[in-house]
Amino acid sequence: MLLQLRDIRKSFGAGESRTEVLKGISCDIPSGCFCVLLGPSGSGKSTLLNIIGGIETPDSGHIFIGGQALGLMSEKELALYRRRHLGYVFQSYNLIPNLTVRENVEVGAYLSEHPLPVDELLQSLGLWEHRNKIPAQLSGGQQQRTAIGRALVKKPSVLLCDEPTGALDYATSKEILQLIEHVNETYHCTVVLVTHNDALRGMADEVIRLKDGAIREYVRQLTKYRAAALNW
Amino acid sequence: MKDPIRKRFWRELRDDAGKYIALFLFLTLTIGFVSGFMVADGSMLRAYNESFENYHIEDGHFTAAAPLEDAALDTLEQETGATLYPLFSIDRETDNAHTVRFYRQRTEVNRVCLMDGAFPARDGEICIDRLYAQNNELSIGDTMAVSGRDYTISGVVAFSDYSALFNNNTDMMFDANKFTVALVTDADFDALGELGKRFTYAWTDPDAGNTDKERRDRADALLGAIAGHAVLTDFVPRDQNFAINFSGDDMGSDRVMFATLLYIMMVILGFVFAVTTRGTIEQEASTIGTLKASGYTNGELLRHYLALPTVVTLVAAVIGNILGYTCMKRIVVFMYYHSYSLPTYRTIWNGSAFLLTTVIPVLIIFVLNLLVISRALRFSPLDFLRHELTRRKSSDVVRLRRGSFLSRFRMRVVLQNLSGYLTLFVGVVFVSVLLVFGMMFRPLMNHFKADVVSSMIAQYQYVLKTPVETADADAERYSVQELEYDGWEKITVYGVQEGSRYVPGVRAGEVVLSDGYMEKYGIRTGDTLKLSDPYDGKDYSFRVGGAYHYPAAMSVFLSEEDFNRTFDREPGSFNGWFSNRELTDLPEEAIATRITQSDLTVMADQLDDSMGFMFPLFCGFGFVIYVLMIYLLAKMIIDRNARSISMLKIMGYHDGEAGLLYNRATALVTAISLLLAIPLTVLLIKWIYYAMMKEYAGWLTFYVAPWVYPVSFAFGAFGFALVTLLLMRRVRHIPLSVALKTLE
Repeated sequence: MLLQLRDIRKSFGAGESRTEVLKGISCDIPSGCFCVLLGPSGSGKSTLLNIIGGIETPDSGHIFIGGQALGLMSEKELALYRRRHLGYVFQSYNLIPNLTVRENVEVGAYLSEHPLPVDELLQSLGLWEHRNKIPAQLSGGQQQRTAIGRALVKKPSVLLCDEPTGALDYATSKEILQLIEHVNETYHCTVVLVTHNDALRGMADEVIRLKDGAIREYVRQLTKYRAAALNW
Repeated sequence: MKDPIRKRFWRELRDDAGKYIALFLFLTLTIGFVSGFMVADGSMLRAYNESFENYHIEDGHFTAAAPLEDAALDTLEQETGATLYPLFSIDRETDNAHTVRFYRQRTEVNRVCLMDGAFPARDGEICIDRLYAQNNELSIGDTMAVSGRDYTISGVVAFSDYSALFNNNTDMMFDANKFTVALVTDADFDALGELGKRFTYAWTDPDAGNTDKERRDRADALLGAIAGHAVLTDFVPRDQNFAINFSGDDMGSDRVMFATLLYIMMVILGFVFAVTTRGTIEQEASTIGTLKASGYTNGELLRHYLALPTVVTLVAAVIGNILGYTCMKRIVVFMYYHSYSLPTYRTIWNGSAFLLTTVIPVLIIFVLNLLVISRALRFSPLDFLRHELTRRKSSDVVRLRRGSFLSRFRMRVVLQNLSGYLTLFVGVVFVSVLLVFGMMFRPLMNHFKADVVSSMIAQYQYVLKTPVETADADAERYSVQELEYDGWEKITVYGVQEGSRYVPGVRAGEVVLSDGYMEKYGIRTGDTLKLSDPYDGKDYSFRVGGAYHYPAAMSVFLSEEDFNRTFDREPGSFNGWFSNRELTDLPEEAIATRITQSDLTVMADQLDDSMGFMFPLFCGFGFVIYVLMIYLLAKMIIDRNARSISMLKIMGYHDGEAGLLYNRATALVTAISLLLAIPLTVLLIKWIYYAMMKEYAGWLTFYVAPWVYPVSFAFGAFGFALVTLLLMRRVRHIPLSVALKTLE
């Protein structure tokens, strides 16, 4: 699904404390593309992701997703859009603590009319053995896998990942990145991954680097590396 | 596919079992008791109403000075169309001066319900009233000495014409301790002799009519016909017979009180449900944010969080109703059998009880939770993800410069949990209402009785059957008539002499109302008062000239002249005397009623008798609910701050210190809430009281004894001390690792 952003502006606060977080962002993210949004803390990358996800509205500018203008959608239509097309993965996994791994994934499946088979997905995520455990019984990596499973099971056209490895150690981070890469390739969904880790640019089709709310670098990479080959 | 998050329900129930069990038990017991009351009340009222047909209860009775000849009876029956049945009786006294009214077995009219044992089959056997037997600890097989003769009790019974044991119809209160009716064999009845025998005849009348007016006209016609054949000493149409009507009038009157209690409880419990659910939502903010961001709708989440409170209430309502139809019903039936001599009953399905105790409680809790939870879920996915669940902005942080670090810390806790504490305040107000409601009634009734006695119009007040003069110079004549207000409330209308010594301030051209009457219906001086006579359908209008302090009854006072003109009476006519001395020269047969102190306090006595045991229950219930509510709300605050408490412990704070930082903030808010709740409680109680009392006939002046409020506060303080002990235990169990975990 093609994402088109045109002159997106966003600021927080009022008067003297007003801060402009996004200063006219325009870019295209082609369907099936693996896009990495890079930038230091406070650069506006998470805000941009949330705007793409329809959970934050820009002050001005337009976002078109598959040709549809997000700004024209009502709250209900936005919820429906998220339900049909988006998968979300956060740094904190936000799993439901008293549901098992399988049930947490089913929470995502419930949102789709034609979800992926949950058991197969659990197998491919390496969670089959842990399917009956609750989140508190899992490692951070396993919890994030579950969160990815929950986002993925409903076959989203766009997978939005906000610092998915931010709370994980090096090895587990790599595992998670490999998983996201696998998801992108297998299910052909557009991935937008927010990170401050510069090393992750290697695995992207498209890199957008933000600084102080503006695009400092916007490249389409002809060659990219496997997640497993990345080092930082 | 069904929503998978519904799988949390059982786990939620299990994980928070203490809360749900407590709420479930409260709901079940409250609903069970009220349902039991409604079912028992409805069933017994039905049995009572059906008893008129089942036991063929009279349409009235009269007592003649001598027995009527058979020929006279035949003539009377032909003249009137009524059927007459002799019901002769003889009063005799027991050794302890109790009155026993003997009857033969009745087979045709006013039949008797055998509650236990057997009807007298042999001479020397007696059946007495069940309630009298119970009150005097008499059992079947016991011997009872009456007027020098021993009788063996063969059974206990309920006379259909004595469901309330009024010795005389002119008595203002029944007496099931010192008066009983009794059945003996014909031979034993004859053996009692003729001394004091009453020649009473009951009548049934196929043309008695359905309206008050038709019945009264018919009774007047019968009276005229009978008077031509007999010298009457007593004439009582059924609708004027207290022994028959009193219990029926009383049953059903307490429904308002129970319904009020039920709804107060439902609001409190609904409130606790809603607030704790909101706490859960706040704790699960990140997850909710993620679900919303993934496309979960508000409706789906709302249904999820509404489901548990609704289902728990529904199950509690069903089980409560099962309890209501079984064991709880028996408690209420016991209460009624403890007051009245009612016949046996059959439990019947009660649709209105189902509505009151199932549909409405579920609706109350559902709507309360719907409002609170939908408000809690109104935030955007991002707000949930960022835990920004208040409308307050971070720039609005209140600056605290004064006070020690600890007091500023506690103030921060208060500010952080402002919404929780506001909820606690509202909860404290509700519970204070319950506590004060429970504590206020006995002092209110004592105050009322003292007020009634001190404000009696006269020490002696006589209502006459026929006007007779007295030589006592202290006496002052008056006229009295009963009318209705608002189609049901009985109002006593007095015509008093101008310049009356007993009721001063009554002027021609306007009426003076008893202050309770004005208070109950919000009537003001200058208003036009409309009253009606249910018997002849006439309406009367009066201009209200002021109030008279007479809390005993709902009364209207007119000048004698106005009274006679209004009611078409002859000038100088009257039917009563006020006097501060006993009038010894009035012939006994001319006196219809003597009104004494106890007669005037009968309403308070009756309420005390039937509801007195409930008031401590209100207090107990209120206290336990209070402890539960404070516990759940304070626990919510502790749970919300578990990470901070854990962090404080890591830094070296003792368990007690860490806990007190939070508990003391709660204590402070609770104490302030308890104090602030007092004026609000007064307003709410007054509002509930007025609404409730409007459903009862008469009026009890609103009064809250001054000690009730400090005691209510002390209850609150004691309850909080209990809660603190429980919470300190909870604080001790927060592990240090909580602060080190990733926030989930």
